Amino acid sequence: MAPLATKEREKPMSNIYLPDLMEITEVKQHTVDVKSLSMRFQDEKRAEEFSFRVGQFGLFSVFGYGESTFNICSSSTWKDRIECCFRRTGMNTDALWNVEPGDTIGFRGAYGNSYPTEEWEGKDLVFIGGGIAMPPIRCAIWYCLENRDKFGDITIIYGARTPGDLVYRDELDVWATHPNTKVIQTVDPGGETPDWKGEVGFIPTVLENAKLQSKSAAALVIGPPIMIKLSLPVLEGMGLGDTDILTSLENRMKCGVGKCGRCNCGSVYVCKEGPVFTLEQMKQLPNDY
Amino acid sequence: MAVEIIKKKALAALADSLIGEGVLVAAPKRIDESIVLYEALDNASQMTLEGFIRPGNSIKEFVFPRHEKLYEYKLEGKEIELADIEPPTQRQVIFGSRPCDSAALSILDAVMSWDYDDIFYQKRRENTTIVSVVCGEFDSHCFCTSCGLSNDSDRGSDAMLLDRGDGSYEVHILTDKGKTLFEGKTEQIDAEPVDVPAGPPAEIDLAAIDAFLEGDFEDPRWNEMALRCVGCGGCAYTCPTCHCFDIVDERRGNKGARVRNWDACQHCMFTMHASGHNPRENQGQRQRQCVMHKFNIYKDKFGELLCTGCGNCSRTCSVGLGVKPVLRMIVQLTSEQTQE
Repeated sequence: MAPLATKEREKPMSNIYLPDLMEITEVKQHTVDVKSLSMRFQDEKRAEEFSFRVGQFGLFSVFGYGESTFNICSSSTWKDRIECCFRRTGMNTDALWNVEPGDTIGFRGAYGNSYPTEEWEGKDLVFIGGGIAMPPIRCAIWYCLENRDKFGDITIIYGARTPGDLVYRDELDVWATHPNTKVIQTVDPGGETPDWKGEVGFIPTVLENAKLQSKSAAALVIGPPIMIKLSLPVLEGMGLGDTDILTSLENRMKCGVGKCGRCNCGSVYVCKEGPVFTLEQMKQLPNDY
Repeated sequence: MAVEIIKKKALAALADSLIGEGVLVAAPKRIDESIVLYEALDNASQMTLEGFIRPGNSIKEFVFPRHEKLYEYKLEGKEIELADIEPPTQRQVIFGSRPCDSAALSILDAVMSWDYDDIFYQKRRENTTIVSVVCGEFDSHCFCTSCGLSNDSDRGSDAMLLDRGDGSYEVHILTDKGKTLFEGKTEQIDAEPVDVPAGPPAEIDLAAIDAFLEGDFEDPRWNEMALRCVGCGGCAYTCPTCHCFDIVDERRGNKGARVRNWDACQHCMFTMHASGHNPRENQGQRQRQCVMHKFNIYKDKFGELLCTGCGNCSRTCSVGLGVKPVLRMIVQLTSEQTQE
């Protein structure tokens, strides 16, 4: 997968570190420590000119606290808003936790590369996610469902330690109503609650048991390294090659535009040549993330 | 033959007249008997161009300050007002920059314009004229000649001065900015050009370094070499080419600014994730990043080294590390390996 053309230059003499002001339109709580935010650009003109591709990320900030890097987890087809989903874990996410509809936050982006949705056309798609890794997959799922006839069968396998750790649960059920779209939810053995109706088992096992078959498929796998590692043989058994399997990486970021020298893995800057990587690229990446 | 010169007194007069015009004039300034630093001058008598190896800092702070506001904000209830910041337009002239410092800025231009223009850096850079001085002496920390430079390299300079030893400098104009600065200030004399003093002998085999850096990323010898690093960041702060920075929010009441500050890959929190995971959790890994960024990554991305061999890092380091000592350790370790 060739890296997409890097973002076209900002117009000359503009401050690349200056964020856009965003008005929060919706706050949704998913788990004890995970929320998602919907927001729209305060500046109408900016709202009209802004576009992004699913897979890209942005820096979301509360003024007075700091900036945090999150994938833009809404579909690029939704022109009235963008969304992010985060775990409350530090100073800025703590402040984001407390925002309400009508509040204003900052957004810088969209940065990075994106999912090669054009290359996915005509293929069966497998989306595999664990826990808090669902948001960067969610944007791709919605994009594909909104363009349903471009893609083949869609299988979504999503799991977490317990039902209480699953995010976007209501949307999982909606996705399953789309044609040729299968959703398998699972929790770790021992994590099930009495009312749990989904699978029980680690994701690689559930993936294997699904016995998926395809003549031409692509997969997006995001989650803990061990989950990815153990899922790979099953995907390879299905005939997927190293360039058909994608993931999205995280690394500590500050500038998001390749200047502050922080997010690189060897020569690869996650903010510029990532965060989306094929398995082939991952195999070449040094262990620096 | 005709040689263009400027008497030292005339250079001082030029500096004073620029200061009088409101130009920021920076040059090496003696702080005390142990240290000289590049600083903005109040008057030309503070300028000192010889009698020391090189300043303890670099000139990067004049185009990339230690602490810099990126924009300001005001909070009024739920309303937020942002105030963009215009990069400064003050003219700057740096006299007596060492060639290793001048070359460094020209090297940094690449990353600062990589797809996104950092206008704070670029505007300052446009407004800065750099007059370098050829080094008359070097010490054991210097290794510019191992980095493709030399004590008389004109890379990144608008003009270069060479001490004639008679109270004057030979002036070599290199760019339009240099020409504008020295217009009408120099004299033509009929004399022999003076010899350029010798620079440090090139002693680091960069091919051996490349081989090591392209080798095992998790080579355990990084920790052998670097574990004693205390992560103070002094190397990065005194380095002419280190440009890693942090962006933080500084708020006072209902007003504040988003600022950037110098940072260093040697700090333990540099790559720490919010989850608590740290890809570089020991000093060997952090030292690896420093050396790789300078001799492998920047070369891979922009075609040149992110090091000018100035030696500030090892002069500053309190535990005897720094780029040259680490490179020498790598050469030694890899030559021992081939001998086995």
